[in-house]
Amino acid sequence: MTQISGPGRTPGGTPAQPLGQIPVVLTAGTVVGDGSTATSTARARWRHGRTTAIVVALLVVVAALSVLPRPRTSGIPLAPDNPSPAGGRAVARILTDRGVTVEYVRTTAAAAARATSGATLLVTSTDLLDSAQVAALGRTTADLVLVDPSAPALDALSDGRADRYGTPRAPGTIVSADCSDADAQAAGRITVDASGLLLVDGAGVVCFPGDDRSTGAYLVLTGHRRLTALASAEPLTNGALAQAGNAAIALRALGRNDTLVWYVPSPQDSGTDQVSAPGLGDLLPPQAGLVGVQLLLVALVAAVWRGRRLGRLVTEPLPVVVRSSEAVRGRGRLYRRSRSLGHAAAALRAGTARRCATRVGLARSADAVTVIDAVARATGRPSEEIAALLYGPPPTDDGGLAHLARRLDDLESEVHRT
Amino acid sequence: MAITWRAVVLAALGVIFVAVLPAAGTVVAWALVVVLLCVLDVLLAASPRSIGLSRTVPPSVRLTETVSSVLTVTNLDRRRWRGVVRDAWQPSAGARQDRFPVDLRAGEARRLTTVLVPVRRGDRLADRVTLRAVGPLGLAGRQLSIDVPARLRVLPEFASRRHLPSRLARLRELDGRSAVQVRGPGTEFDSLREYVIGDDVRSIDWRASARRSDVVVRTWRPERDRRVLIVIDTSRTSAARVLDAPRLDASIEAALLLAALASRAGDRVELVAYDRAVRARVAGTTGPRLMPAIAEALAQVEPVLVEADWPGLVTLVRDRLSQRALVVLLSALEPASVEQGLLTVVGQLTRLHQVLLASVRDPELDALRRDHTDANAVFDAAAADRTELERQAVAGRLRDLGVEVVDALPDDLAPQVADAYLALKAAGRL
Repeated sequence: MTQISGPGRTPGGTPAQPLGQIPVVLTAGTVVGDGSTATSTARARWRHGRTTAIVVALLVVVAALSVLPRPRTSGIPLAPDNPSPAGGRAVARILTDRGVTVEYVRTTAAAAARATSGATLLVTSTDLLDSAQVAALGRTTADLVLVDPSAPALDALSDGRADRYGTPRAPGTIVSADCSDADAQAAGRITVDASGLLLVDGAGVVCFPGDDRSTGAYLVLTGHRRLTALASAEPLTNGALAQAGNAAIALRALGRNDTLVWYVPSPQDSGTDQVSAPGLGDLLPPQAGLVGVQLLLVALVAAVWRGRRLGRLVTEPLPVVVRSSEAVRGRGRLYRRSRSLGHAAAALRAGTARRCATRVGLARSADAVTVIDAVARATGRPSEEIAALLYGPPPTDDGGLAHLARRLDDLESEVHRT
Repeated sequence: MAITWRAVVLAALGVIFVAVLPAAGTVVAWALVVVLLCVLDVLLAASPRSIGLSRTVPPSVRLTETVSSVLTVTNLDRRRWRGVVRDAWQPSAGARQDRFPVDLRAGEARRLTTVLVPVRRGDRLADRVTLRAVGPLGLAGRQLSIDVPARLRVLPEFASRRHLPSRLARLRELDGRSAVQVRGPGTEFDSLREYVIGDDVRSIDWRASARRSDVVVRTWRPERDRRVLIVIDTSRTSAARVLDAPRLDASIEAALLLAALASRAGDRVELVAYDRAVRARVAGTTGPRLMPAIAEALAQVEPVLVEADWPGLVTLVRDRLSQRALVVLLSALEPASVEQGLLTVVGQLTRLHQVLLASVRDPELDALRRDHTDANAVFDAAAADRTELERQAVAGRLRDLGVEVVDALPDDLAPQVADAYLALKAAGRL
């Protein structure tokens, strides 16, 4: 038994009666605790790990801040989330505040699916749309608002009742309504940077005419559905919304129905199909994600369970582990690398000669002639052959060395037999 | 702080709740439940600081033999103490099972027995005792590791003791209890006895036979009270591994067998472990106390990575021995180190004493020498041949200087050294 002294150790043979403990007579050398208390251990751990803890806490705070929901913006012209002068967020915000549901879509399929009767479909540009996409939009029953439509698109969507001539004008050109449409009259004057909308036939009205009185910057077709065309995007933009009567024409054109489908064509969308077949995520039940999170927590708890050792690892002072034959192997590698066929062959021959001489009972000091004679007698081979084998010229290649080694083996085994 | 598998199961139960009520709040709430229950359990757990610990270990054990370390745990708390106790030892102490589930009522004590089968010679140390007290829910607990020093001295195995009976029989043969066939100078006349068939006729004492009617032979007794100094070389050459053990281990086995044999033969045995300084020494001990003293001294000897100081050893031998003695050097027949070291000074020893050099031979050397399977192997074989020739040349030079050389495989070294000793004794060359 080892005698120990130090904090937390009881002197031998006396009853240990710390507070809250019961009197038990302990034998000498008994250790109780390690001199620490729960508080001192906690303090030591805090001192040891506080830097790490603070860094981790900071990282968590930064990560939490970075994932907080934030108003998302974009730089796409006329997009409802674009706050720049060319964007459309001002109109979208005002419409939302007035109770209009604005649905922002980027694909033809989504636009066509949402543009039901009783909704307004805004198409901010037709430049990226092919004829199939235009036809898909034409098959919807919603009211249409086209901004700066191309001639073919306008032609297709209006069933040939309207046409378009490209008539660019200086940005900020103020034009007057000069027509009977209520919305245009309410706006009075708007600013445009293009014009050239032409009514071919049928029920409709052209407003805000340019120099040519038959074309204008604003066109309304009535019929089985209302189609409004604006030759210029300017009245809808954040930058120009406050000028002249832009706000009035924009809000009246877009706010006619309770639902506005805001379609900004995307260069990535080239078809009219619905989104591809449902992915793996759609096949899982809705609670799968949360169950996954819970399973992650279980894995975390399991990691904590397995990660806490029952005491530290015990080290072992290990002895040297160099093999005794390493020196011999190293010498063999040296022979091999320096191609010392002569040295290697000499060593093999000397070893064989030595063992043969010992077997036939020659002394260590016996000379070559004596050894050759004795071995020749023992094996019955001619002396010349023995001499060539034991004292001949060195081999010239690896094959020759291996051959020599085999012949020396044979010779040795024959001496052994006698 | 530590948690148990039950805490993992508790957390896993949350999966059911989340599946039934799929909301982020369920996940957070369940996590809080798990954390709160674990904290509660930790607060309710008994303190690991209220456990009295004492360890009882036998002072020494022979290598490969089994020994028990007994750890007494006493609950000094007023509460029930449940948890796990780990009695940690160095890996080479060979503890099979060192974790014990413990459930102690207030004031109760228990003995925990750790079975140790040491796998290495030397002092094996106990590490800390770790106490993990688990709360009443079994979810989490408190943990503390406490130093409870203990040391187990592992003595050399002395596997070569199986060769002792046969060598002792040979010794008795020498000892005059049967007729000795060899009559060399220095053998002492012991007694006369009747001739029995099988005795060497040259042992017949004709004068005594003439006085009596029987044929009488002389028996001889080898000289006694000679001195044997065993020197174990612990320098760098003893660190090299032959098969699975360092050369030193084979040297120690040989030293133990020789010491046992020589002390039975009535010689005085001294032992020194030496490289550049004396690492262990046993002198002036005789009789039954000799072998335990040698085992104790050799238990802690480890190879040192320095070159041996042979002139220093010669001085040491000269200081220790005044009359002619047998000096057994348990070293290595390494051509380079022997030529640089031992060969330069061994003449001073052989002038005064009989010197026996015992070296462990590496069986891998012979295997390499015989392997001629391909060109690479032939180069290795050539290197082995060259090394072997150099070893024999060095051995030859040592023999020329009057040194007896024993070069044997690890397992054969001890018996061959014993045989060489017996041969020297029989020839009266001690």
